Amino acid sequence: MEQQNAQDWEPKILAFLCNWCSYAGADLAGVSRLQYPPNIRIIRIPCSGRMNPAFIAAALRNGVDGVLVSGCHPGDCHYLSGNYFARRKFTVFKELLEFMGVEEGRVHFSWVSAAEGEKFAQVVQEVTEAVKALGPARHYVKEKIEVC
Amino acid sequence: MSARRVGREALKGFITGLMEDGRTVWGPQEFQGSVRFRPLKKNGTPVLDVPNATLSPKEVVFPPSEWMFLFSTDPGREDAFVLKEVPQEGPEQVILGIRPCDARAFQILDRVFLEQGAHEDPYYRSKRDRTLLIGLGCNTPCSTCFCHWTGGGPFHTEGLDVLMTDLGDVYLLEPVTERGRALLDALQLDEAGADEVERGKHIAEEARASMGEAKDPRRIKEKDLMALFGSPFWERAHEACVKCGVCTYLCPTCSCFDIQDEVRGACGFRGRNWDTCMFALTTLHASGHNPRPTGKERFRQRFMHKLKYFQDDFGDVMCVGCGRCVQYCPANIDIREIIEALSA
Amino acid sequence: MDTRVERIRSEAKRLLESGEVDLVIGFRKGSIPMVSRPWFVRTVEDTELLHWDGFCSLNLCNYLTKRKEKVAVVAKGCDTRSLVGHIQENQIQREQVLVLGVPCEGMLDRRALQERAEGTEILEVVESDGRVEIRGRGLERSFPRQEVLQHCCRICRHRNPVLHDRLLSAEVEEHQVERYEDVEEIDSQSPEERWAYFQNMLSPCIRCYACRNVCPHCYCTECFVDCSRPQWVGKSLDLNDVFTFHLFRAFHMAGRCTDCGSCERACPVGIPLRVLTRKLEKVVSERWGFEAGTDLEQLPPLATYRPDDPQDFIK
Repeated sequence: MEQQNAQDWEPKILAFLCNWCSYAGADLAGVSRLQYPPNIRIIRIPCSGRMNPAFIAAALRNGVDGVLVSGCHPGDCHYLSGNYFARRKFTVFKELLEFMGVEEGRVHFSWVSAAEGEKFAQVVQEVTEAVKALGPARHYVKEKIEVC
Repeated sequence: MSARRVGREALKGFITGLMEDGRTVWGPQEFQGSVRFRPLKKNGTPVLDVPNATLSPKEVVFPPSEWMFLFSTDPGREDAFVLKEVPQEGPEQVILGIRPCDARAFQILDRVFLEQGAHEDPYYRSKRDRTLLIGLGCNTPCSTCFCHWTGGGPFHTEGLDVLMTDLGDVYLLEPVTERGRALLDALQLDEAGADEVERGKHIAEEARASMGEAKDPRRIKEKDLMALFGSPFWERAHEACVKCGVCTYLCPTCSCFDIQDEVRGACGFRGRNWDTCMFALTTLHASGHNPRPTGKERFRQRFMHKLKYFQDDFGDVMCVGCGRCVQYCPANIDIREIIEALSA
Repeated sequence: MDTRVERIRSEAKRLLESGEVDLVIGFRKGSIPMVSRPWFVRTVEDTELLHWDGFCSLNLCNYLTKRKEKVAVVAKGCDTRSLVGHIQENQIQREQVLVLGVPCEGMLDRRALQERAEGTEILEVVESDGRVEIRGRGLERSFPRQEVLQHCCRICRHRNPVLHDRLLSAEVEEHQVERYEDVEEIDSQSPEERWAYFQNMLSPCIRCYACRNVCPHCYCTECFVDCSRPQWVGKSLDLNDVFTFHLFRAFHMAGRCTDCGSCERACPVGIPLRVLTRKLEKVVSERWGFEAGTDLEQLPPLATYRPDDPQDFIK
């Protein structure tokens, strides 16, 4: 991998977007030609309720600098209550992860509807800035084997 | 004259002497809530006045996790996915303060890893060959100790290179093997007086006498294998067991491991980790079938392996009576009761 | 003899004789001091070995999961709370279980007692009138019971069974103690310090999974650490994998753990695991006012939701 100095370091952020709202929101941001940082890589999931916290851990351990999970606004879930359950799960997981020493600001959650292209761009902007402020992932990255 | 002496206050100097020539000295040390064998730092002292370490020093020669091979996953490389052996060299090492039971356990591990004809284990071999055992006899055996049931004793020297006896103010050091003698000679220690050797003998006799009557697990060898295997005894014996790995991971003689590949970045390793017959996963087939489907079969496997199969194969029980499984079992499964039941 | 022992034996005997239950799960005296053994009683003769003392701390609810027969269980406050969880999660039916509730004065801390013996092996423990006496070779010391209780018992708020069919002694007084002092102290540290704290705390772990296996709430047919497709967690003692195991073990306990302390007691290398589960207990209580295993009618917090749940952390 190329050596990067601190100045031109750009964070890698993994975004898990629900199929029905946030993914469409990202699509809208794109077709509306809205500018937002290119730091996110998107994985589409059927619903924020599908989100297993193990996905977040797997992402962090494999070296992403930040994670965003986004779903439909409360009340708008395509499956009626997936995001309500997700909200509880995220509450607990975020608290525990941060308690155990992963910095606040690595893992983010948002509600973005299919009509909110602008909000999506803004969320990505905010998340990228927050992760940038923290610098490259340090704690929870599993060390790579360099020589083999 | 062969017995040597080290004053209690001179122990640090003795250890520094052992460390010369780049030797690693492993000794029991406090490790948060437990006592474990760890390499001693310069001027560090081992905790020798505890009954025995929580984990046996088998982790020195058979670590809980170790890498065996490395490989590259980079398809651009000529050697992509070719396994390359991890070099096994390392410094000479001494285990200081290993108890006689744990030293005997090394001999049991030797049978499994080294004495099976063509199948010698190079990872174990390399560590074992460069390890000297300076054992500490047990002046006051615990109530959970039963080394004398299994053919050992609180001052047994089988497996040791040097036997250490705590005389209070002084440690008595008696060479057992030629390697042990050479080590002691090289360190130029004071010779022990005849009275000190005598005191050592007396302490050993008293320790042995304090242990009470021994039961003989070797009687299990005479029993019919299928009768033991099919005995209704297991139905109830396993009920309290939670099937965790405490007994097997703390056991100085358990030697099962699981081989795993792991890729991290463009490199990966093939390594082995301790495994235990207590876990269902250990025997789970890829098809989903599990030949030891319930806790009963797993529990039976542990004891039958230790007390019956191993005896049939190697002539000895695969247990040295250290008592760790008795002390640490969350559900109070007591191997001594199993021995009594199976030999009855 | 402790009158509770007599009550346990006579109740067990009666229940088995009348055929009301097929099995009674209680404790018998352990083969070594300071441990009691779970005891499975199916015949009247075996009731004679039933026992009760300050070391009956293993959570017996662990043995109830997916049982088919009618069973009576001897249960302290924490055990009954776990049972409530079990019933809510359909691991056992309420009608199947007959709870022999034992109000609990707290269980004794084996490690603390051993420390107080200063290197001498404890061969006998005698409990009487709020005091605990330890005996060994040349050792004879006694302490107020309160001083040598397990930490989970010192901060327990539910010593009386929350659910019972028989109560085997008079209820004990409950205390509204502060439960989260250590959690709050860790909370007040910086992420760097917390990271270092947990790395250090978890570094002795040998992954024997005793913490998982003694826990009544860990009953998954396949544990996430055993999954191979995908393999969430590496199998070695790499601290990153060890950390992940403990992170998720604790996470799965959110809103379910009753702080019976079994995990911590079972840990052979003495890791203070409960700080993780109590952190979650605190979150669940502060956010949703929930306390695990106290109410059969109330759904576990992650199995339900309210439309107006707090969401200050969501953009």
